[in-house]
Amino acid sequence: MIRLSITLLLGVVLLFALPAVGEAQSATQLLDQGVRAYAVREYDGGAWLLRRALSVEGSGALTTSDAARATMYLMAIEVARNERDSALAAARRLVVLDPRMKPDEQSFSPQVIAVYQEARRNTPSVTIRAPGDTEIKPGSEVFVVRLGSSTAPDVTAVVTGADGRVVRNLYAGTIRDSVDVRWNGLDASGNTPPAGRYSIVVTPRGGDRRSWTLRLPLELARPAVDTMPLPPAPPDSLFKPERGDYKSAWQALIPGVVAAGAIVVVPNIVASGEHASEARFIVGGTIAAAGIAAFFSHHPGQRIPANEQYNRNLRESWKHNVADTERRNAERLRGARLVIRPGAPSLTTSDTP
Amino acid sequence: MKRALGIACVCAVVGVSTLPPIAVAQHFNAAVTGAPEIVQSHIDSSFSRLNGSVFGGEGTFVAEHFAIRLRYAQGNVSAKSDTGIDHRQVVEGEALVGYRATQWLTLWAGPTARAYTVGDADQRWLLWSARVTGRGTLLPDKMQTYVELWGALSGTVGNPAMKAGGRGADMGLELRLSSETPLWGRLGYRIQSSHADGLRETVEAITLSVIYGFPQ
Repeated sequence: MIRLSITLLLGVVLLFALPAVGEAQSATQLLDQGVRAYAVREYDGGAWLLRRALSVEGSGALTTSDAARATMYLMAIEVARNERDSALAAARRLVVLDPRMKPDEQSFSPQVIAVYQEARRNTPSVTIRAPGDTEIKPGSEVFVVRLGSSTAPDVTAVVTGADGRVVRNLYAGTIRDSVDVRWNGLDASGNTPPAGRYSIVVTPRGGDRRSWTLRLPLELARPAVDTMPLPPAPPDSLFKPERGDYKSAWQALIPGVVAAGAIVVVPNIVASGEHASEARFIVGGTIAAAGIAAFFSHHPGQRIPANEQYNRNLRESWKHNVADTERRNAERLRGARLVIRPGAPSLTTSDTP
Repeated sequence: MKRALGIACVCAVVGVSTLPPIAVAQHFNAAVTGAPEIVQSHIDSSFSRLNGSVFGGEGTFVAEHFAIRLRYAQGNVSAKSDTGIDHRQVVEGEALVGYRATQWLTLWAGPTARAYTVGDADQRWLLWSARVTGRGTLLPDKMQTYVELWGALSGTVGNPAMKAGGRGADMGLELRLSSETPLWGRLGYRIQSSHADGLRETVEAITLSVIYGFPQ
């Protein structure tokens, strides 16, 4: 009677609390609640909580040991619920997560131990172990995962995008005991892939290519990088006319006329009463002639090589600045760190339901 | 003339705030100059006209809106008179501080000095002047003209010193001599008239200069 009351009470609590739990609680809290639910034999709620905990990805995901613990309890719940296939699937996953794990015989029933042993016998003995969250400088540092196996399978390991597209081939060969697979954070073209979800996918080579797939989810994040905006193109107002027109012709003539006129008039004002030297007319005439020559060099349609050169220099200078800014931005992006957050690995076999 | 120069200065200063900024950050140029010179000298009722030449150099430094100009020249002028040859050694110079309002307009202020040595005697003119220089481009980076007007704010001459005044102008053409080097030539005409009690001198010169650096 007491057990029934507790079960009902927990069921009611879960009924009202679960939606909020799913949104607000962390994967670790979900795991703890799932374990408590198993302890009081509230198997449906416990299975739901543990699956929720295992489904969290990214920075809030369970650590590998917590994922193994959650999977162990999930397997035990499925055994208790007589869901043999689900229990075997969980057991296979557990083998991949932690091949050396030995279920506590005090905590779990012989049936649970037996299912685990069966999965262990039938699961391909390939494992993948990744460090925790890792920050690397793409191209010069590497992210290392260790593939392990006791049966020396011939495998390929690739990095794939969320759409399954191969981003980079990492390894092709035999795993003898263990092999470290290194990824420098670059794709096949040598570029840093954009932030997002990726996976390291290990599959067997040869005839049994589709017999199993080992997948390590990765979340790639890139801290924001300050890049400089590209310099704007020079405005039209900065360019000089490359062909003469009346306006520029007059603008060339006027300074010559003004200076020549000043030479004629100003001496009479500065030194009124004196007889200014007539030699000044030589200077004035020269300046006037220069002004007239400048006027005709700017007449409509006439090319102005100096202005063409000036405009060319202006454009080249701008292009040079753009290229320089792009180069600096690319250098900054290349130098940016890449954060790699591995998730819990999963194994899919051809008999996986 | 003083009123006109004053009005021009005021207009230039008022206009400064509406003018576009200057692109050039720092600039220096140096020039060597030779000039045939004509001096018309009035001392009381006597008049003499002297001819000669002076040689010298000048330098201009510009940093943003700030400018400095130094000029020095010396030479000889002489004239035939009833009593023989009137021979004078001439030394002249100026030190000006300028405000470069735009690329084509600069305001200057500073002392202008001119001294004659006749035997053991000296005659020294010292005028504190305000100036306006305007420049116009005929062909960009190849040919330009300039006109400079100035008036004396105060001045002295002789020993004991007498109050003196004066005004002047300098106009000319500057032509780039080589597209590979910043070498320019200048052909100019300069006139100044100085006066004091019983004294009046008018100096004219046709100047030929070679300038290294973009003329400002």
